Amino acid sequence: MLFDQYDPLKGEMFTVLDKDGKVVNKDYEPSIDDETLVHMYKTMQLARIADIKALQYQRQGRMLTFAPVQGQEASQVGPMAATEQKDWLVPAFREAAAMLYKGATLYQNYLYWYGNELGSQYDEGVNIMPVNVPIGSQINHAAGVAHAAKIKGTDEVAITYIGDGGTSNGEFHEGVNWGGVYDLPMVTIIQNNQYAISTPRSQATRAKTLAQKAHAYGIPGIQVDGNDALAMYAATSEAVKRARNGEGPTLIEAVTYRMGPHTTSDDPTIYRSEEEVNEWREKDPLTRFYKYLANRKLWNKEKDDALQEELKKFVADTFKQVENAPHPTLDEVFDYTYETLPKDLKRQKEAIRAYQEQQESGGDE
Amino acid sequence: MINFKFADIGEGIHEGVILKWNYEVGDTVEEGETMVVVETDKVNAEIPAPDNGVLKQKGAEVGEEIHVGEVLAVIDDGSGDDDAEEAPKEEAKETNDDDDDEEEGASVVGAVETSNEVLPASDEHKKVERKEPSDRPALATPVARKLAKDLGVDIKTIEGTGPGGRVMKEDIRAAAEGEKEAPASDAPRPSGEAQTRPAMPKLPEEGVRREKVSKLRQSIVKAMDTSNQLIPATTIMDEIDVSKLVEFRNENKGLAKEHDAKLTYLPLIIKAVIKTLKQYPIFNASFDHENQEIVYKDFFNIGVAVDTPDGLIVPNIKNADQKSIFELASEIDRLAASARERSIGLSELQNTTFSVTNYGAFGAKLGTPVINHPETGILGIGAITKKPVVNDNDEIVVGHVLPLSLTIDHRVIDGGDGGRFMLQLKQYLNDPMLLLLS
Amino acid sequence: MATMTLLKAINNALDQQLKNDKSVVLYGEDAGFEGGVFRVTAGLQKTHGKDRVFDTPISEAGIIGTAIGMASNGMRPVTEIQFSGFMFPGFNQMAVHMARMRNRSRGKYNLPIVVRMPYGGGVRALEHHSESLETLFAHIPGLKLVIPSTPYDAKGLMTAAIKDNDPVIYFEPKKIYRAFKQEVPEEEYEVEIGKARTVQEGSDITVVSWGAMLHETMKAIKEIGDDISVELIDLRTIAPMDSDAVVESVKKTGRLLVVHEAVKTLGIGSELISRVNEGAFFHLEAQPTRLTSPDITVPLPKGERHHIVDAPRIKQEIEKVAYFE
Repeated sequence: MLFDQYDPLKGEMFTVLDKDGKVVNKDYEPSIDDETLVHMYKTMQLARIADIKALQYQRQGRMLTFAPVQGQEASQVGPMAATEQKDWLVPAFREAAAMLYKGATLYQNYLYWYGNELGSQYDEGVNIMPVNVPIGSQINHAAGVAHAAKIKGTDEVAITYIGDGGTSNGEFHEGVNWGGVYDLPMVTIIQNNQYAISTPRSQATRAKTLAQKAHAYGIPGIQVDGNDALAMYAATSEAVKRARNGEGPTLIEAVTYRMGPHTTSDDPTIYRSEEEVNEWREKDPLTRFYKYLANRKLWNKEKDDALQEELKKFVADTFKQVENAPHPTLDEVFDYTYETLPKDLKRQKEAIRAYQEQQESGGDE
Repeated sequence: MINFKFADIGEGIHEGVILKWNYEVGDTVEEGETMVVVETDKVNAEIPAPDNGVLKQKGAEVGEEIHVGEVLAVIDDGSGDDDAEEAPKEEAKETNDDDDDEEEGASVVGAVETSNEVLPASDEHKKVERKEPSDRPALATPVARKLAKDLGVDIKTIEGTGPGGRVMKEDIRAAAEGEKEAPASDAPRPSGEAQTRPAMPKLPEEGVRREKVSKLRQSIVKAMDTSNQLIPATTIMDEIDVSKLVEFRNENKGLAKEHDAKLTYLPLIIKAVIKTLKQYPIFNASFDHENQEIVYKDFFNIGVAVDTPDGLIVPNIKNADQKSIFELASEIDRLAASARERSIGLSELQNTTFSVTNYGAFGAKLGTPVINHPETGILGIGAITKKPVVNDNDEIVVGHVLPLSLTIDHRVIDGGDGGRFMLQLKQYLNDPMLLLLS
Repeated sequence: MATMTLLKAINNALDQQLKNDKSVVLYGEDAGFEGGVFRVTAGLQKTHGKDRVFDTPISEAGIIGTAIGMASNGMRPVTEIQFSGFMFPGFNQMAVHMARMRNRSRGKYNLPIVVRMPYGGGVRALEHHSESLETLFAHIPGLKLVIPSTPYDAKGLMTAAIKDNDPVIYFEPKKIYRAFKQEVPEEEYEVEIGKARTVQEGSDITVVSWGAMLHETMKAIKEIGDDISVELIDLRTIAPMDSDAVVESVKKTGRLLVVHEAVKTLGIGSELISRVNEGAFFHLEAQPTRLTSPDITVPLPKGERHHIVDAPRIKQEIEKVAYFE
């Protein structure tokens, strides 16, 4: 059993691919079909390019503050590939790659960070909860989603994400604990990207690993190389199987690195060194996955160059669409407060509309 | 003496059943020792004695029910007889009192009052009937009410001149001046126009005699003023050949007498009016100019103007559509008599839906009667006279002609409607058979 | 028809909805096996099973947070916070998520959640068991808040709250859980959320109250008798508030008194008075007034009498406003 093999208390970290894309753990190499492998890679690339471009747009003043995912593509795409459409993704706020794989469109993703709630209106059948800003509260949501699945008797599984800093928050404790109490079909993935804004991982908790916290809740925990898409896939796959069998939740710690800033308003050079960043650049998740695919003759430089071109164009076009998208209307910002607007709220809306119309016509004079 | 009450022991219980007494009346109980065991929803509660003393009375016997707040035991602790009355099973209305165990119980629950009081049922899910407006008490501020009480005036008999018909202090003072006036028909306050009246020009001091007008006259003044200021009125006139009606009436005068009714033309005309109102409901309505709404009424209270020595009064026949011609005749007589005796009640003057005025009794023929606001029309009835008329054969014959003058509120009734109303009325009055049969 | 207390009426509504709608679940601390510390949910676990009616860890954030997840995934959770004074650890989830999910996702997710909590004082309990915090909820767009004062309304509002597709906070005035009984229809029925109830019609003064304080107000009105014609309104829903009913009433009477047990500053009374100012200013004959608890922490039982608003005080205040010239 995977989780028995890798005890976080003993400092054992699960990995399948080394940083050069070579399989170093044959027993646990997951069998994924070619199409899926390529799709995983393409999604990781899309996330990477979209991220880089978004940062550029932001510096150009065309995009608002957002949270980059650079360096964390494998810890997000790997797990998503191990789930099915009926399963749920309950993200924090740095899961763009996971959301793209799961069925959110780039347009929606950009639209959200651009400042329009329509970006959270994912398509029918796409079970993603909206981006969650208050840290930790999403874990309780995930427990609820999983709890509902259990009561309904479906075998949906809820996958939720949190950062290393987030594990200090009370709601992480309450939510993971809740999952354990009821043996819920829930997989909590901690993206340990080493920093909570400027606070290093060592100051989030005295515990040596985050995965070992699972012991306190009576559930299995495993520390995984977060930059290894295959290892993340395999660990999640096991966890999902457990969950569907009614064996309860699992805690996975993905050890990765936040290559970019916390958000575009952050300057990481203040609190970390160039060397450290370069060290992690060597372990880049995309590079090693590319090499793995290349070794299996599924990908090559030519295809990669073409992909990059295609994605760059797609990203640019999408962003243009977002820029040209209509801003929320007066009705849109009011009408979703309740199912039906109460009388007084309707009056308040109309009063603002009247004022706006007056301003518009007044401007003609 | 200690009246030891059964407390809510913190589980949210409100009653229990006595399982076992460990003491009998007359025994000495020791503080802290279990005195009685009470069975509740959750637990079998062992209740310890609150103090040393002699058990004087048990609140309930084994197998009986005891409610939270009721006395469980009366213990004589030698402290005196202040609460020595019998401790009957009180209705458990009080919350647990001072000697209860709120300190040790300090149950997270606190002390929740229990009782068997029953609230009136709610009828929200049923349809609620509309209340008759005349049933409502007089609108008046408490200050006015107090004044009325102090001055010995029944506030319900006073016509209010304040907003919404409210009785103001001036109204009360005026009423208290001793005059038992019958109030005029409801004249709701116009929207402030009456206030802006031009000043009275100076009249000579010599050769004139001033006389204060009566309350009735004052109210007539107000009603006429209101009608004039609010309603742009116009009158449609016609002369109707009622030869057949006259014949009919003459034939049936005797029959009426046998039934103790006087068959004059008025009840017949009113009958025809009601039938016509039903077909032209705008004439049986009010125009609410504040809300810009026409208020159609499904009841027919026909006002009949009565001339009295003190002035004009217009009581109405309630639900006139439900009365026979004989009954209408009786009502007219009754109202006229009451009006002259000044014993008309306020309600008989209220809620008129359409009025008729029979100045024909004084010989007048055509006129321009004034609408009683908030009605939308009024029918002036002139004297029936013999006149030459042209019949169907183009011959000139002697006919009985009834002049009618219909004044309408031109804001909501146009000339066309007025004409049509008159035409229909004419048809009924032309032919009494049509009146009776349709 | 059956005669029942307010508490039993809530139980009845929950029982009926658990039966009629399998997506309804009910949970909270000690709410399952024991039926709640007040026994409001007694017998429900036995009838409907442990999967749907269950006890939770001491985790208010968990209770509300999981309700949000459950509601997003097809359930209609009815949760309990043991006392309104303890809702604060869960308030984060209520304010930042529960109130906003519909808006945040432009309608993709809506949360048909009910959060029940016993509230209000007059029960001589420990600290934190007597709070009256309706203002906090009313100030957050996206939440609804109802407070029944009779058994009939309790069942009707609970049924409506469960059927509502938006989150509804349901305050249970614990002081009157068992203080009286009333005939309650046995079949399913709703009391409209957002609609006040005219308890009695009158012409001299409009008095507005809700919860346990409504009954105290009724005692005061009984004392006053015929001298003042009081129009009494039970607000029933705090958000969305039926201020129109109050405004229309004041247009008739010209005078307003709001009575509530919550503290004065920024209590619901201040909102009602503002709305009456906006809608009925020209009909006013006296200053619209509120009678409330003072701006202090609810005292422990021995000091409660300084804090409480009771019938004699209410009577005095009604007279003051009614006779004002």
